[in-house]
Amino acid sequence: MLDYSEPVAKLIDEFKRLPGIGHKNAQRLAFFILRRPKEDVERFVEALHEVKERIVFCNVCNNLTDVNPCLYCTSPARARDVICIVEEPYNLVAIEKTRSFKGLYHILHGALSPIRGVGPDELMLANLFPRLSPENNEGVEVAEVIVATNPTTEGEATANYIARLLKPLGIRVTRIAMGMPVGSDLEFVDEVTMDKALTNRHEI
Amino acid sequence: MLLERLEALNFRNLSGKIECSGHLNILFGENGQGKTNWLEAMHLLSTTKSFKTSRLKETICFGEELGIVRGSVKKSAEITHELQVALQGNSKILSVNGKKETVQRYLGELHAVVFNSDELEIVRGNPDARRKFLDNGIVAIYPAFVQTLSDYNRVIKQKNSLLQSALDHDYSLEKTADLLAPWNEQLVSLASRIHKARVRFVERLNTVLEKKLFGREEISIRYASSLEGRGDLGDYAALIEERLKFRVQAELVSGHALIGTHRDDLEVTFDGLDLRKFGSSGQQRSALLILLIANVSVYFEQNGEYPLFLLDDVDAELDYRRIGQLLEFLNGKTQTFVTTSKDSFVERFSAGSLVFSIVGGHPELHRT
Repeated sequence: MLDYSEPVAKLIDEFKRLPGIGHKNAQRLAFFILRRPKEDVERFVEALHEVKERIVFCNVCNNLTDVNPCLYCTSPARARDVICIVEEPYNLVAIEKTRSFKGLYHILHGALSPIRGVGPDELMLANLFPRLSPENNEGVEVAEVIVATNPTTEGEATANYIARLLKPLGIRVTRIAMGMPVGSDLEFVDEVTMDKALTNRHEI
Repeated sequence: MLLERLEALNFRNLSGKIECSGHLNILFGENGQGKTNWLEAMHLLSTTKSFKTSRLKETICFGEELGIVRGSVKKSAEITHELQVALQGNSKILSVNGKKETVQRYLGELHAVVFNSDELEIVRGNPDARRKFLDNGIVAIYPAFVQTLSDYNRVIKQKNSLLQSALDHDYSLEKTADLLAPWNEQLVSLASRIHKARVRFVERLNTVLEKKLFGREEISIRYASSLEGRGDLGDYAALIEERLKFRVQAELVSGHALIGTHRDDLEVTFDGLDLRKFGSSGQQRSALLILLIANVSVYFEQNGEYPLFLLDDVDAELDYRRIGQLLEFLNGKTQTFVTTSKDSFVERFSAGSLVFSIVGGHPELHRT
């Protein structure tokens, strides 16, 4: 016998599919929904619907967008000669917050990880190469590709793989620096980060 | 560092506290009374782990919710830290002077080296026990090495998974080499760092190795790279890179990463003979102690203080002659804890030490 009547059990099951949600949290969420006014729930359902209906991958950079190509790819204000490669759309958001990068993006939607069955074919990388020819990039030649994948072994392998593909094409491939977080005290930095920062020191 | 006092509450069968000597402490009692549990408590306070089990829940006294081990560690003449490890279920809460700390910050408060029958794996077991001995020793003096090791293991795991699926899907040699390249490139740099650190650490062990501590045979150690005889180890990065390229096919056929520091070993010999194969169990135990002492000495060179030395059931493992030589050597250096069930041991070695009788987990200072 089910612990709850079928519709409730079904809802709990659906919540459990979400990342980071276990059984107890799923129950809490389901009962929260049950107690909400009908309009609230409908607004929620509508939001879920809409995101699936209207959001697509940008043909050019794979960003999530409601206009295709996305606003970054069509913006006249962005420098078209630099492309920054990131793993996930939220990595793009993190870089955008700095307001200091004015180039274009390319989103892979993942990183190489044989353990999880992610090989080069599972990354959204194929549409990067056409972008490198001026005829597909409003006449501008791409001078540099910045690889901003995560500083994990998977991120490093991905960066390495991309560099191997792009270098023979004569494109400058760079990797973001790793080291000290700005604005923090030296004493609060863990040994590993400190070690990287020392290794990657530069002359002043 | 000096462990001045140790208390346990609902940890195994322990109760009460030990006011420790800065030199030798003898925990004496019949079997099953909890002598080793006290050493386990010290080890927990030092490493936040048990040397008996990976499930800390098992160490909490049956029927209780919370197990606590607490200790006062004298860091210098005027600074004493109160350390506490509280166990609840499988989780643990660490604190220093009553304030909660993360594991990373907690480790290093108290360092301890253990000699017990499990550690004998180092001298008689598989190479991985010896690699672990080296790696732990390196981490104790160079904490950032933890990340290098964990990245290396991750890369090997990814590579194995890749090779396995290459095997399952009949990938061509060329395709496999292509897919392996980004992992191998990291492997080259990580393995080079590990190789260098281990070679350097063995050099340091060698400079302090008391080769003839127990008389008779002479113990030697040497780092044996799996790439020995394959080229110039002086330029390890270039050598491993070349080997990785050369062996792609072999790796593809076997479905495993065949090249790297995870295949290396620490060679331990006595009078030139392989200790693991030809050493008697007494010789193996002596050699293990010589290795542990060298480890402690390197730690001292680096940090200017000695770790605790915990010797479990020392008289089951060593004869009195060797124990005498060992304790004499450690005297004035490490704070030492030994467990024994023999009266004769206490009679013979208790001069200048504190003796605690352990009955039902409770320690009582022995007046002689």
